[in-house]
Amino acid sequence: MFIKKIKNFYKYSILFLLIILTNDARAEFFEDLSKIIENNEKRLSYGISVTDFNMDGNNEFLVTGFGFPNLALSFQDGKLKNINQQKIFSDISKKTIGVAACDIDKDGFEEIYFLNTDTYSGVKKYSDRLLDIKDNNYFDLFELEKNKENLNLTAGRSVVCVDRKGDGEYGIYVANYGGPTRFYEIENELIKDKAENLNLDNITGGRSVVSGHILTERADIFAANERGANFLFKNNNGNFDDVAFDYRLDDAIQNGRGTALSDIYYRGRLDILSGNWLGYHRAWVLKNNEFIDIGNKDFDEPSRIRTIISADFDNDGFDEVFMNNIAEPNKLFRIKDNGKFEQINFKVGLEANGYGTGAAVADIDNDGILELLVSRGESKAQTLTLYKAKVDKESKYLRIKPLNKYGAPARGATVTLITNQRKHSKTIDAGSGYLCQMEPVAHYGIRKKEKNFKVEIRWTNGSKEMIDIKKLNQTIIVRQK
Amino acid sequence: MKKIFNIFIIVFLISFQLKSFAGEKNYHKELITDWSRIFPDKNRNAAGPKFFKYIIDKKITYKDFVEFNKLYCAVSGSLIDPNSDSEFLFIKESKTSKKICGNYYRCCVPCSCDLMKYSEAQKMKHKFEDGFKEFYVLTIKNPCSKKDFPNRVNKDYFCNGEKINKSEVYSLNDRIVIGLLHNGKNCAKDEIDFVKSHQVTGRYCELRNNTPLENLDAGMGDIFIKLAR
Repeated sequence: MFIKKIKNFYKYSILFLLIILTNDARAEFFEDLSKIIENNEKRLSYGISVTDFNMDGNNEFLVTGFGFPNLALSFQDGKLKNINQQKIFSDISKKTIGVAACDIDKDGFEEIYFLNTDTYSGVKKYSDRLLDIKDNNYFDLFELEKNKENLNLTAGRSVVCVDRKGDGEYGIYVANYGGPTRFYEIENELIKDKAENLNLDNITGGRSVVSGHILTERADIFAANERGANFLFKNNNGNFDDVAFDYRLDDAIQNGRGTALSDIYYRGRLDILSGNWLGYHRAWVLKNNEFIDIGNKDFDEPSRIRTIISADFDNDGFDEVFMNNIAEPNKLFRIKDNGKFEQINFKVGLEANGYGTGAAVADIDNDGILELLVSRGESKAQTLTLYKAKVDKESKYLRIKPLNKYGAPARGATVTLITNQRKHSKTIDAGSGYLCQMEPVAHYGIRKKEKNFKVEIRWTNGSKEMIDIKKLNQTIIVRQK
Repeated sequence: MKKIFNIFIIVFLISFQLKSFAGEKNYHKELITDWSRIFPDKNRNAAGPKFFKYIIDKKITYKDFVEFNKLYCAVSGSLIDPNSDSEFLFIKESKTSKKICGNYYRCCVPCSCDLMKYSEAQKMKHKFEDGFKEFYVLTIKNPCSKKDFPNRVNKDYFCNGEKINKSEVYSLNDRIVIGLLHNGKNCAKDEIDFVKSHQVTGRYCELRNNTPLENLDAGMGDIFIKLAR
């Protein structure tokens, strides 16, 4: 009898250990690919944008440097290599933190806005850069004599591209800190700050900003601020009204950081994820003309948050939320149906001692799985890190890349995947995370037993286009008519 | 075998219990979320009564009411971190002049002294979702006819002319309710001795409460005192 009990004890102990080990193995969500980054030296990095730097049809990661060179990391020969060779781009004498790219002059090429900041708040010494290209050479539009009266000489953080009129002519919203917000557009070949005319020139502690179809058929703007209420600018025929208080997004006594647009309910509309520095993080969904925070206790737990990214890393058809904390472990959640946030345990990518300052996603190697590049720095020089989710071999994906009528990425457009299981919207990222901008592609993993695939594109002018999907595992480029 | 099974069940029940706790209300988050509703002009100086009114108007249980009232300072109107410790003190009861002992959640030490000197306790009865409950509240006299009403306090929050603005703050016997005295009850002698000999409620408060108003530079300074004296 006693021997039988002992045997049973061992049997159950082994079973228990197996369960623990299986869970542990499953915990390895990411694989660390940092070794493929060439010359990955310790540096102070901040915002990252994803755009086609060299116009070869593939995207690059643009990584800003704070007293370090800005980088253009391209995937070549299995490595992530800095392909920039131009001084005005690397700009080592400047302290660049925010970056966004979009086509402001309707030539199909995305100009690059680098937000430089050499002071925490208020007046700064060095202006930002707005880089355009001519004969393969970058030049700074702000350096042209005619544009010098409109330089941004206020400390800032994030930038976002906004096609406010829906005509493919992007403007750039600059979230300044301790001075008025700027909104740059080209008018008569001049760079003009139109913030005042558009009701955007508020003074606050600007931190992060996103733009897309939040409330209207045009580009709305949500800005998460510090030491002041957030802004929700509703697009009113190209002008803006701040409706954050009415929609209950003002969060007046918290200090905003990273933010992202996400279809939290898989219902075909973009809601908002917003992190607050050592405050409650928000998962806001629109219900009856008010945004309700549905984040659970694990999600909203205060942390030293920086970037927030919503993306399907593991191609299972459910978005993950990556929360990049500075000098604190990162967090990862899976958004299940009905807005349920399920925390994912992971070790690779946790970066408990990482000084994460920014992060961006892109399928940089074109294999149908997203890569996550994390920039680090601030108070400690650190290397860049690169991760990719461990994906089920049977998994499938679909990528939609909308281009506007000028052939430029339609940043701010909304793509909605419609199937028998979900109606899942994604924004073509105009700027998000914190100081960052994701790839201009809607990336979907496919769920089990999912069928009847259709995709709807809502362009920045509000018009819609429906596409039948016959084949998965591909990137479909959709051109606006 | 049976033991292992029992242990498994216990572990399962504990983890289930933890999950249940995870679904509990986050009172602090709720106050932060609604802060701009409570203070539309962003002025929370001495506006503890605004918090009290916001809380008492909610459809909540008595437990919720108590928990919410631990999270703001009735004197300064500032939010208090969750899990902050309270101060044990006594307040004079309006009706009987007896000392009522209880716990007060404050943002900083001087607020306890100001409260002890300038507020009075009153018994209040209220119907919550789980029935009628009786408790002690902290009150100040109607400040609306004051000629030196502190200009850093939003008078509209408190007053409608010379009357208390009952749509903005809660009043009891023509006094403004500024907060809840937690665990309020008649003081026992040893409790009074404890408060009087305590380094904050005793020595420090004696010093503060004997300092001329113009020399006060800690806590809310003279704002609450000017409102409540």
